[in-house]
Amino acid sequence: MTDRTIAVDYLARVEGEGALHVRIHDRTVEEVELRIFEPPRFFEAFLRGRSYLEAPDITARICGICPVAYQMSACHALEHGLGLTPAPAVRALRRLLYCGEWIESHALHVYLLHAPDFLGYPDAIRMAKDHPEAVHRGLKLKKAGNALMARLGGREIHPVNVRVGGFYRCPSREELDELRPTLEEALALAEETVRFAASFSFPSVEEPYEFVALRHPEEYPMNEGEIVSSRGLRIPATRFEEEFHELQVPHSHALHSVRRDGGSYLVGPMARYALNRDRLGPRADAIAREVGLEPVVTNPFRSVLVRAVEMVYACEEALRIVGSYRPPDRPFVSSSGPFDVPGCMAATEAPRGLLYHRYALDRSGEITEAKIVAPTSQNQKRIEDDLRDVVTRSLDLDDAGLTDACERAIRNHDPCISCATHFLTLDLQRN
Amino acid sequence: MTEPSADPTVPLVLGIGNEHRGDDAVGLLIVRHLRSRLAGVATVAEVVGEGTELLDWWDGRRFVVAVDAVRAGLAPGAVVRWESGRGALPTSLGTVSSHGVSLGQAIALGDALDRRPEILVLYGIEGSNFAVGDPPSEAVLAALEPTSRRIEAEVRGRGALGRESAPRSRPDA
Repeated sequence: MTDRTIAVDYLARVEGEGALHVRIHDRTVEEVELRIFEPPRFFEAFLRGRSYLEAPDITARICGICPVAYQMSACHALEHGLGLTPAPAVRALRRLLYCGEWIESHALHVYLLHAPDFLGYPDAIRMAKDHPEAVHRGLKLKKAGNALMARLGGREIHPVNVRVGGFYRCPSREELDELRPTLEEALALAEETVRFAASFSFPSVEEPYEFVALRHPEEYPMNEGEIVSSRGLRIPATRFEEEFHELQVPHSHALHSVRRDGGSYLVGPMARYALNRDRLGPRADAIAREVGLEPVVTNPFRSVLVRAVEMVYACEEALRIVGSYRPPDRPFVSSSGPFDVPGCMAATEAPRGLLYHRYALDRSGEITEAKIVAPTSQNQKRIEDDLRDVVTRSLDLDDAGLTDACERAIRNHDPCISCATHFLTLDLQRN
Repeated sequence: MTEPSADPTVPLVLGIGNEHRGDDAVGLLIVRHLRSRLAGVATVAEVVGEGTELLDWWDGRRFVVAVDAVRAGLAPGAVVRWESGRGALPTSLGTVSSHGVSLGQAIALGDALDRRPEILVLYGIEGSNFAVGDPPSEAVLAALEPTSRRIEAEVRGRGALGRESAPRSRPDA
């Protein structure tokens, strides 16, 4: 009998501190734990006693890569609870802001995190020496996303222009028109990114995911829609907590979100694409067909292609919004109360997947309870399931090879966990 | 952020940091000391230190000084100076940032992509407390003025040299 333990003590440079532990006994994978040991950050507690108007700015600080997602989920939840309906132009601007975040985040993921895995480099810096044109392309795309964020949000990181009910200030038509050349270039670069990613060799893997994402009657989902799953679930966001539960597990400070039956599920680009393939814009649809991207992608390694296609969509959607924009009469709508709302709930689509917020307010508009379920929390159990499959398939690899396979399995899903390439220091124990 | 000056021969001084995280504010505080002193001599800017943003700032520049908090195992407030072309950046100088591409990674990425200044000087001030909401430590505050004077002297001296030679071509980035 042999025991084999793969223990990675520190997942460096993640949005949260984590480790990986795998125990194998007689060629049977007995334990796979993605250990998130960063101390709890208590954002839900910070929100208590604060005005509902502060929620978008406080929650934006949860993540430096996807602050818009937190702002959007907070705004939609509170507006839903308070019965506020922002102007159509504000709705479009929010979608435009989200496009910026998707472009920025996906560009970082594709070029700096994921591509080195496929091209055989330990990190993007060494890849850049041999493929400078690819990295230049990724940086240009990221810069285009940043430009949208800065123009609408006031700055690239942690935008300051978003408020419940709309924006503090809406841009003029001319201010948005100035972005058009940048976005047109970005669209072409995003299409080139799809072709670039399509040239990679992908391991042959299929995973039995239950995909969960928003679905909107007309649009590829960002801010609005019902929560649907590939196994037939279809609910409004107000029923999220009836169908999804958060569990505490001994090995992680991050809660695991699971389906009602305890099963794992996957949110993020693969889920969005699988459940909304028919909502892509014409350019994204065309490039997906050109490279033969299947309508439902169940190979996690091919998520890089899905992200690239979503970048194309975000660029063409941004151009569409810029082209049709007329500034609203008022940048925001506000509520005069009553504020004592027990349940303000919404979900939006962060770059990494569904992001659910719920707030309860007292009569003065102070937050009395907050609940935030982030994509990373929802995908943790599914990542462990992926890792179990990877290890089972790869038992004949030596320890270095097995560790590398595990790293790649994590990077397939979650740049918030593994937001820098090749971040593991390996501590391997054998019996 | 302030847009980078179009003139690549104008020296650039970048203060990197987060003023809400204790000693991580030191880069910002130093360039605030320097802004008026270097008026007309250099472009002075405060940045969060996200690596791809740094590439945009320094790409093709003649002479850039970056000032940031570091953890290099020194006494709090100690100052380290590193200059490009004179050995690799110690990895300990590249790990303070919590953003996607750190300062150290940005330097390496800039080297790989030929998106770097001709001369990059990094002043690192050893920090001890990076807690959210805390003020900078006394040791770091004590380093502000002497470090500012040192940087000012260097920029005045080397900046003039930089203006004498023709700007190099910028890579298509």
